[in-house]
Amino acid sequence: MVADATEARDRSGRLSLRTALGAATAGLLASGQGIAQDADSALPTTNIDTGVLYYHENNGRVQAIEPQLNIAQKVGEDGTLSLGVSADSLTGATPLGAVPSSLPQTYVRPYKIVPLGTAVTTTTASGGSTVVIVPPATGAKSQTLAASTVVPANTYPLDSSFRDTRYAGNIGWEQALTSNFKVNGGLAYSKEHDWRSESATLGVAQDFNAHNTTLTAGVNYESDLSFPIGGTPTPLTAMNGNWKGPDATRDEWDAVVGLTQVMSRRWLSSLSYSYAQSHGYENDPYKLISVVDAVSGQPTAQLYESRPDSRRKQSIFLDNKVHLSQDVVDLSLRGYKDDWGIKSFTGDLRYRYQLGPDYYLEPHARFYKQGAADFFHYYLVADQPLPEYASADTRLAKFHGLTYGLKFGLPLNERSEFNVRVEYYNQHGNGSPANAIGQLRQQNLFPDLTAITVLFGYSYAF
Amino acid sequence: MKRMSGHWLQSRLLSLAALAGGLAASTSGCGVLGAKPWDHDLLSQRAMQVNPYPLEAAVDDHIYFSKEASSGGRTFAGGGCGCN
Amino acid sequence: MVLVDTTDIALGTHIGQCVRAETERIEAKFSRYRPSVITSINESAGHSIDLDEETSNLIDFSVLCYELSGGRFDITSGALRRVWNFDSGGHAPSQMQVRKVLSFVGWHRVSWHRPSLRLAFGMEIDLGGIGKEYAVDRALLLTRELSDVPLMINLGGDLRVSGPRQDGTSWRVAIEDVDRLGTAAGMLELSHGALATSGDTYRYVMQDGRRFGHVLDPTTGWPIEHAPRTVTVHAPTCTEAGQLAKLALLRGAGAEEFLRAEQIRAWCIR
Repeated sequence: MVADATEARDRSGRLSLRTALGAATAGLLASGQGIAQDADSALPTTNIDTGVLYYHENNGRVQAIEPQLNIAQKVGEDGTLSLGVSADSLTGATPLGAVPSSLPQTYVRPYKIVPLGTAVTTTTASGGSTVVIVPPATGAKSQTLAASTVVPANTYPLDSSFRDTRYAGNIGWEQALTSNFKVNGGLAYSKEHDWRSESATLGVAQDFNAHNTTLTAGVNYESDLSFPIGGTPTPLTAMNGNWKGPDATRDEWDAVVGLTQVMSRRWLSSLSYSYAQSHGYENDPYKLISVVDAVSGQPTAQLYESRPDSRRKQSIFLDNKVHLSQDVVDLSLRGYKDDWGIKSFTGDLRYRYQLGPDYYLEPHARFYKQGAADFFHYYLVADQPLPEYASADTRLAKFHGLTYGLKFGLPLNERSEFNVRVEYYNQHGNGSPANAIGQLRQQNLFPDLTAITVLFGYSYAF
Repeated sequence: MKRMSGHWLQSRLLSLAALAGGLAASTSGCGVLGAKPWDHDLLSQRAMQVNPYPLEAAVDDHIYFSKEASSGGRTFAGGGCGCN
Repeated sequence: MVLVDTTDIALGTHIGQCVRAETERIEAKFSRYRPSVITSINESAGHSIDLDEETSNLIDFSVLCYELSGGRFDITSGALRRVWNFDSGGHAPSQMQVRKVLSFVGWHRVSWHRPSLRLAFGMEIDLGGIGKEYAVDRALLLTRELSDVPLMINLGGDLRVSGPRQDGTSWRVAIEDVDRLGTAAGMLELSHGALATSGDTYRYVMQDGRRFGHVLDPTTGWPIEHAPRTVTVHAPTCTEAGQLAKLALLRGAGAEEFLRAEQIRAWCIR
């Protein structure tokens, strides 16, 4: 207990501040407990993070809504268990890869196998398409239903039967083995109606220099199974309504090494390098590439795309965060290249503007630029030899993407925060390549993609 | 901190100038980079963590993975979804 | 940092871990930044909150310091940080800003009946002015339960030694040159007791070419005028040394006179 300071007198009998303080200090220090008891009751042991994303593209293209939940729980003195789930529901249309034409075009794809003799009505198809019964082979007991869609003249061909819900879950563990060394591991699983992915990850982090320097390293293994509606088509064969090939697999190994360094009281810098190698089925089973007439530019055939069966990716990432007493600036740069010939550069800048002691506004800008894959072609020309690999998927084309966003955050107390972020993304590529043939000169071979996203987030610690 | 509308730009410019001075001083001084343990006050704030908003980062990674050819950087390059 | 004068590495390491655990415990428990007892208290402003033994003892101690300093040492003065920004050349606030924030400062606005504390809404407390020195003393006391080996515990310049070194000589401590930060101005020899320094050469505000130290007078809301740049005090414990240094600094021009009158062994740098 604190001694009664008013009664403290020194040798000369005079009330002394110093004596009073000395007595009080003695009282304060004497009343303490023994060797470090666990006084952590004030520290949170559970962290809940939730969010909902709304995603909307222009022109009737993809829309998605994705709720997510993540829970991290401290276990024992040095361990943390984390669990995450999310669901991702997509509707809307995506590009087929085929070129637009001044004449209407018909596209067909298989979507169901039914026993021979089943009554078929047109409402069994979707997205404005007609059901076509593919003539069964002799002796077959079943028949394939295909959906046939007509894309009007001068319209960029979209596949409007794209509808998917993806469910994903992950579980992770992180353990501090010493005050400077941690290990972590995790498993993840995700499934949609034509794709399944499983992955495992392992990582370590070592601190040096009184936690001013951290070295991290991790590996990840992913195994994917593709079971597209209609089966897996043989690459560079003509589009048709027949049921295609069997399920296909793919796997990928990734490794990351990173260095995080506290540069000063206000400045944190991180640098990382990642390397990935995948093998297996890399094609998009739904994408086409058009073969066009060498003079008129009209499509004469639609082929299924073909990509190499392996891919090696590398990237370098540098991030700097600087605290300006109230506001925080975050600038990151990423360089990427892979053995498909794609190179890209990303620059991302955020400025967190503290509006008051609590809430903040964070404008954000991202600049992205990529070069085309070696085997990207807007279309193939008839009577020329077919290349080994060819894809008209604009995601492999040369383009740049700009994102502008604004986030508003309101920490409700030291343990929880609510935030909402609105972003606008525009992807622009060359829709009128210089050597376009015939009618293709009048077409836009790469319409802009624009998307608006709204993300609500709420996190709570207790 | 209170904000006075007329001074917000000034205080930010002063902060940036002080920061530049502070960074220059810290990098020109003696060898070891970093901050003393008791100077980790600003660094302990959420906004200064390496991955302060993991759910937001995961959403962004997923969106860009499905619309662009690159992946990886901050974390692993794999996507875990059939969207690329 | 803890220096242990022994050749027994295992013992030295164990002592180091014990000191680290205790200082981290105190830092975490009274942190203003991370969820802690202090943040719980500040969040509950406007309502009563019951405090544990240790926190209650620290509050009682800070009340004594409040009285001994005539109200100038006040753990509710942290709210002044909302208008004063001391990071190497910040800008001074206006009279109106200071007046407004003063309504959230002042121990007389707090209701303290151990163990129940009630801050008025909008107020906050900060035990940073006691915490570091308290941690040094607590850590040293705990090591005495483990061993008698001579040691020095130093948390950023607030330090204490257990006694002379094994061979009877004193511990040597470098004093930083305030005009050339990062270099030593002199050496001190310490064989008992503690040292604490108050005043901070890194943080100040410039106003009309004048340099205001970062020590604010909670009764006026403005920095203490004519305060020394730093005051270093030698006392039996680190907590006392720290408090005496702050009390001296809070006297402004009268710092040296206060130290002389109380017969405190100290150094002022102006």
